[in-house]
Amino acid sequence: MKILHSRSLIALSTTALALPGIATADAPPTQSTLSYKISNYKEDKLSRSEVPFGDLDRYDIDVHQFQLVSPISRNMSVEINANYESLSGASPWFTSTGLNGEPIVNLSGASGIRDRRSEINIGSTYYLENGSFSANLGYSEEDDYRATYFGVNGEQHFNNDLTSVSLGFSYSADDIFPTDAKIFNRVNKEDKRSTSAFMSISQVINQFSSFQSAISLTRQSGFLSDPYKLIDVRPESKRQISWSNSYRRFFKNANAAWHINYRYYHDDFGISSHTVDMSWHQNIGRSIKVIPIVRYYSQSAANFFTNVDDFLKPVTQYQSSDYRLSAFGAISGGLNFVADLGQWTATLSTERYIANEKYSAYNVSKVSTALVSYNRISLGIEYSF
Amino acid sequence: MQTVRIFGLLVTILSLLSSCTEVRAWERGYLAKDEMAWESDSLESALNDHIFFSKEASSGGNSAAGGGCGCN
Repeated sequence: MKILHSRSLIALSTTALALPGIATADAPPTQSTLSYKISNYKEDKLSRSEVPFGDLDRYDIDVHQFQLVSPISRNMSVEINANYESLSGASPWFTSTGLNGEPIVNLSGASGIRDRRSEINIGSTYYLENGSFSANLGYSEEDDYRATYFGVNGEQHFNNDLTSVSLGFSYSADDIFPTDAKIFNRVNKEDKRSTSAFMSISQVINQFSSFQSAISLTRQSGFLSDPYKLIDVRPESKRQISWSNSYRRFFKNANAAWHINYRYYHDDFGISSHTVDMSWHQNIGRSIKVIPIVRYYSQSAANFFTNVDDFLKPVTQYQSSDYRLSAFGAISGGLNFVADLGQWTATLSTERYIANEKYSAYNVSKVSTALVSYNRISLGIEYSF
Repeated sequence: MQTVRIFGLLVTILSLLSSCTEVRAWERGYLAKDEMAWESDSLESALNDHIFFSKEASSGGNSAAGGGCGCN
């Protein structure tokens, strides 16, 4: 009886660990999965009061994502990701003061920007008795930007697989070569290096809930300014720290899972931020999921942020009117649908994002022009074989 | 100082977690569901991370950073 009990226990343990929800699976996926997702991302037009002259249209981007995950041996799997983006639209060029004394933004030429981005990333995971080791290598190319990067990650399970610790490291070497550099007196060719390390700890709390906490540290060095802005001078190094926490809880009676994530971020440009997002994964029958999502984000301004460019300031002094360095808040919400059709899975995702200084949890001393609002819609399909 | 404070909070959380209930292998059925994964749709998560990385100053989360792009 004792032997039978042990065998049942092993069988159950193996089944549980092979199931996808548990983050501590010690075996490759049992089947291959091929996924494709197409998305359209469109930013709202700016108002005429913010942009007195020229086109009001901003970025409109189509994104194609491909993914293949496949077991290649008893203890190894491979993952290939490929992405393609095409974008058009205008982006902020410089800021100045309008006739009424308020800051205004001037967008890049009426015809705007056209660019493409292609990325490929190949990774592999080797599964050990109580953990795994993975590595990945990636390359991304745009008309004016190139990034080559790699990452390694190790995971170890303890405490009867109730606790997991992950450690990871990544490095990216990026080259920037702006278009029309001579015409607009832009830098010709610059580079940027990013080194990042992280550690995370996951813990099963009880049979319905689990928790994860992670710290990541990143250092960037090199050319961190925006070469397309008329004036933009930033420090040549940046250190970032982020602390993320995630909680998952399953509600048996509702047949639904609740996700909540919180992240604190700080960097030595002087920016701090808080991000909270929540989603409710409601099962309807055996094959449909409906997932409403809400997210709140707020950041403080960089020490050198200005909402009106100062062209008389020496170029050795830092300044940037990039709205992404201003103090603002953003609220977003979305609704996702997932249909599980046996070997096929279809997903539909919609999202609305609105950034505004009024939503900021931090003091806003200089209100930025050109904060972004956008809509996003995605359609995905997945085939398992 | 910021790092020390965050590390202290992490240690506190881990101390609290040490009192978690023992969950046997056969009691992990709900935890094993797709919707309980840290990342239930990896393409969706990657896309969201990429958009937020492009439109906000913050980045970093539960993994090391990937490659950069001209979007930021």
